[in-house]
Order: sequence, then structure tokens, then C-alpha cells
Amino acid sequence: MARLKASYSEAFTKKVGTELFLLTYGSLVAQLIQDYEDNDEINTQLDKMGYNIGLRLADDFLARYPQTKCVEFRETADVIAKFGFKNYLGFVPVVDKWNPSDRSCSLFFDHNPLAEFVELPPEHASLWYANILCGVLRGALEVVHLEVEVKFLQDVLRGDDKTELYIRFIRKIEDTVPPGED
Amino acid sequence: MTILALYVINRAGSLIFDHDFSPSNMGVEVTFTYPFEIILKEEPNGLVVSFGCRDGIKIGHVLVSINGVPVSGCHMSDGGDVREFLSRPENYPVSVRFSKLKPNVNERIMLSSMFNTIYHMASQLSPEKKSTGIQEMETSAFTLHCLQTLSGLKFIYLSEPKTQGVDVLLKKTYELYVDFALKNPFYNLEMPVRCELFDKNLMLLIEQSEKVISGNF
Amino acid sequence: MTVYNIYIFNCDGQCIYYWQWERSGDSNVSQVEEFKLMYGMIFSIKSLINRLSPIDVDNQFGSFATNKNRLHFYETQSKLKFILNTDLQADTGKVHEILKEIYTGYYVQYVVKNPFCDIKGVSIESSLFTKKLNCFISSLSIA
Repeated sequence: MARLKASYSEAFTKKVGTELFLLTYGSLVAQLIQDYEDNDEINTQLDKMGYNIGLRLADDFLARYPQTKCVEFRETADVIAKFGFKNYLGFVPVVDKWNPSDRSCSLFFDHNPLAEFVELPPEHASLWYANILCGVLRGALEVVHLEVEVKFLQDVLRGDDKTELYIRFIRKIEDTVPPGED
Repeated sequence: MTILALYVINRAGSLIFDHDFSPSNMGVEVTFTYPFEIILKEEPNGLVVSFGCRDGIKIGHVLVSINGVPVSGCHMSDGGDVREFLSRPENYPVSVRFSKLKPNVNERIMLSSMFNTIYHMASQLSPEKKSTGIQEMETSAFTLHCLQTLSGLKFIYLSEPKTQGVDVLLKKTYELYVDFALKNPFYNLEMPVRCELFDKNLMLLIEQSEKVISGNF
Repeated sequence: MTVYNIYIFNCDGQCIYYWQWERSGDSNVSQVEEFKLMYGMIFSIKSLINRLSPIDVDNQFGSFATNKNRLHFYETQSKLKFILNTDLQADTGKVHEILKEIYTGYYVQYVVKNPFCDIKGVSIESSLFTKKLNCFISSLSIA
């Protein structure tokens, strides 16, 4: 078993170059622009793809970073920033702008990691370039039974000072009851 | 290392005796300012914390009183809705008590028949032939020990995890039942056990075994 | 250590994987019914122990033993449920680690990261997963 564990952690440390990843994501968005044209539709498509990634990524995250269950939303946001973003994107966003009842907050980052070399064409000014992240968070949190709303409010690519990703807690999804019981 | 509870279930799966040995829990009282952050869900025994823990309030705790006045289910003592009360800013600051509720009589009866069903499912789903039902069950909060007698009675002890020697205790409790319930001419078979002598001797037995159990450690 | 069988349930209570190595007992119902029964039992146990627990509110179910076998249970935060039946000699702590390893080292690797495995689907269709899991389990019975 010790041997298996070693080979397993080895597999984890393998890294893919950033450039390949950024180019892959870039050409994906470019392709979507060709296919859909409408910015809202492109945003939706990116969110959908992200959602499917999130559904898988959640288990990968839980397997790598065994966490105790979050019991409140502040804790959840903290884990997302300090572990999720840190380990998958390599930086820690600032969690701020909590609403008084702790149900929503924003993640701020100075730069947009997916968009290091990107200039938004003027006709696509209303595109949220990194909208895939919204879907990823939504999917991943759904796996741990939290229903949330995630959207970008600001983006440096659009000339804003910061990139702001807004997360709002909607509800906790309860366990599925076996059929016939209630 | 302590014994937390005893349940005795008859052949038909009804609860005929139970006793809770665990200390009662007063819960936690917290003063809130508006808005109220804790997310509650409605359950048969009241409003239960489902998310948003703080200050020792845990998921699964039930809201038991507001400003020192007990609530029943989702209603305040004056009949108003608890959640509506908590949604109005003018009612703040408010002091709310949360506690882990112990199962009441009806729930204990329900839980006993539930265990009876689970016991039989476990035997049916076992990968080996002619398996019994659950004899021991480990959870993070307690270990459950079950003795099914040949006559079909079930004696169940809940103990703190990793407590040793509960199997002996189960056998002795069975003997007590035979002596002080079955041999009592005024005890009706299969009916709840209400015999003072049984209670008394059970307490003695538990007291003794606590000493033995803690002596072992 | 004898390992009898494994059940994996997804968060919707669907049995997405079943494999057996040793089994002599028969539940006398169809496999579909048996899966439902197993999920129903686990669900009941979870609500039972949460209500029974005098102290802790978030009580985790670990395992139970009959006179013939022990059923071990591990639930991930994504509500995947892993159930493994072993003989009575198996150490509960060790089997818990084994179940975690099946999740992190096998499920996440060969199912979640396989883009052609539908993780929302009704069953795990991956021969690679089965193959690797079998290697892992047989290495355990020797030890």
C-alpha cells in the first residue's frame, strides 16, 4: 500500500506548462466566439463547460486536500480562496465585501490569470473572458451540496481596476431520500 | 469510558424498556444582532441548524428558546412564527438558545422499530450465509452493542467508542430481565417493563460495571 | 483478510458500482432490489445514529459487525458512499484507510479524470477502474 501511495502522489506533482493551458483556453474561447457571436451566449457556454469541470474537480480537490466539512459560508469561501485558487490557479484571491448576514461575498484578484496575454476585441466588450471559473465554482460547490450563484462583476480586461467574482449562497441541498421514504 | 443508554426491544420490534445514562445538555445561548446568519430548516422536532455554525452552535442543534422563553416547534410562546420574529430588525439584539435535543418517547419507540428493521436488513444483505443481524456498530460518537437472545429479545447498549466489556454487561442485563421482569407474576410478557426492582438492580449493575470498565483502563 | 464485495453509491442513492470477490450468502432478491435495500439500510442507519447520539450532532457511521462479517462505510464530502464487506478480523481503522484509498487513488483517478466516464451516470463503465481495483484488493488479501 505504501508503494501505491508513493506512485499516486508522484502523479500529482506532474505539472503541465502554463503556456499550453493558456493557449488551450484561449483557442477555446476564440472558437466559441466564432460559433456563437452573441456575448451572452458565449458566457453561458463557458459557464456550462465550467460546471462540468467543477463536478469532477470537486472530487479531485477533496481527495487531495482532505478537509473537514465546512459548517458556515465564511469557511467555505476561505477554503475556496486559500486552497482551491491557490492549488489550481496558483494565487490566493482576497475574500471581501461580505453582506451582513454572511450569505454572499466577492473574490478579488489584481490580474486575471487566464487572461495574461488577452485583449478583448471591442465587439466583445461584454464578454466575461474567464466565465468558465463561475461554472467551475458552481459545479464544485454543488457536489458538496451547496447551491450558489456565481458571476463576474468586474474584470481588468474590461478596464476595471480589479477582477471581482461574486458568490452568493442560495441554499444547502439536503440528502436524497431513498424512494418510498419521506 | 461510559455507558450512555440502554434499550430493550421485544420480538415484534417494540420498545419495552429504555434508560438514558448520559448527562443532560443545556446547549448554548448566543446573543445575535440583525441580520440572523444561521440557516434553519423545519423538522418534526423544531427548527434545526442546517448551515452557518458559530459560537458553539452546531449543525443539527435545535432552536429551543428566544430571550429565555421556550419555543415549541416553529412557534413562539405567543403563537407567532419564530422565523418571522427573527426576520424583523426591531426584535434585535436577541438571545437565542440552541441545544441538541434528546429523542422523546415517541421518537425512541420509532427509533427502536427502525433498528429492528435495520437489524434484519443487515442479516439479509450479509455476504455470508446464515448471518445474524448487527451485533456491534461503530460511529464517531458512540458504539452500539446488541445482544439478540434466542427468544428474540434485543438488548442494546450505547457506550462511548471503544468501551470494552459491554458483551458481559449485556448478558448480565438479560439475567436481570429474566429475574426481575419475567419471574415477576405481575409482568405481562412483551409489554413495557415497569418493575422497580429491575430498575434498582440495573442501576447497581451499571454502577459496578463502570468501575470495572474504568478499572481496566 | 477476506474482502467479500464492494458497493459504491452516488449522491442520488444510485448504485454506480458493484463488484464481488467472495460471496456465499444470497439476499434472495434481484440485484436492483438489493442495491435499493442496501442504500435504504445505510440511509436508515445514518438517521438512526444521528438521532440516537446523546452528544455529537454530526455523527459519522463507521462500520457494523454481524457474527459473520463486518460492513465498513466511508462517505466523502461529495456524498459518495463506499461500502466494503470484510471478515471480522479486519481492522476497522485500516479498512477505513483502504476505502479512502479507493476513493482518492482509484475513483478520482480512473473515473473522475476519465472524460468518457459519465460521473452523473447510473454506473461506472470503466474496465480500467475494475482492473486496477482488483489488483489493489488482491494485494490486500495476501498481506
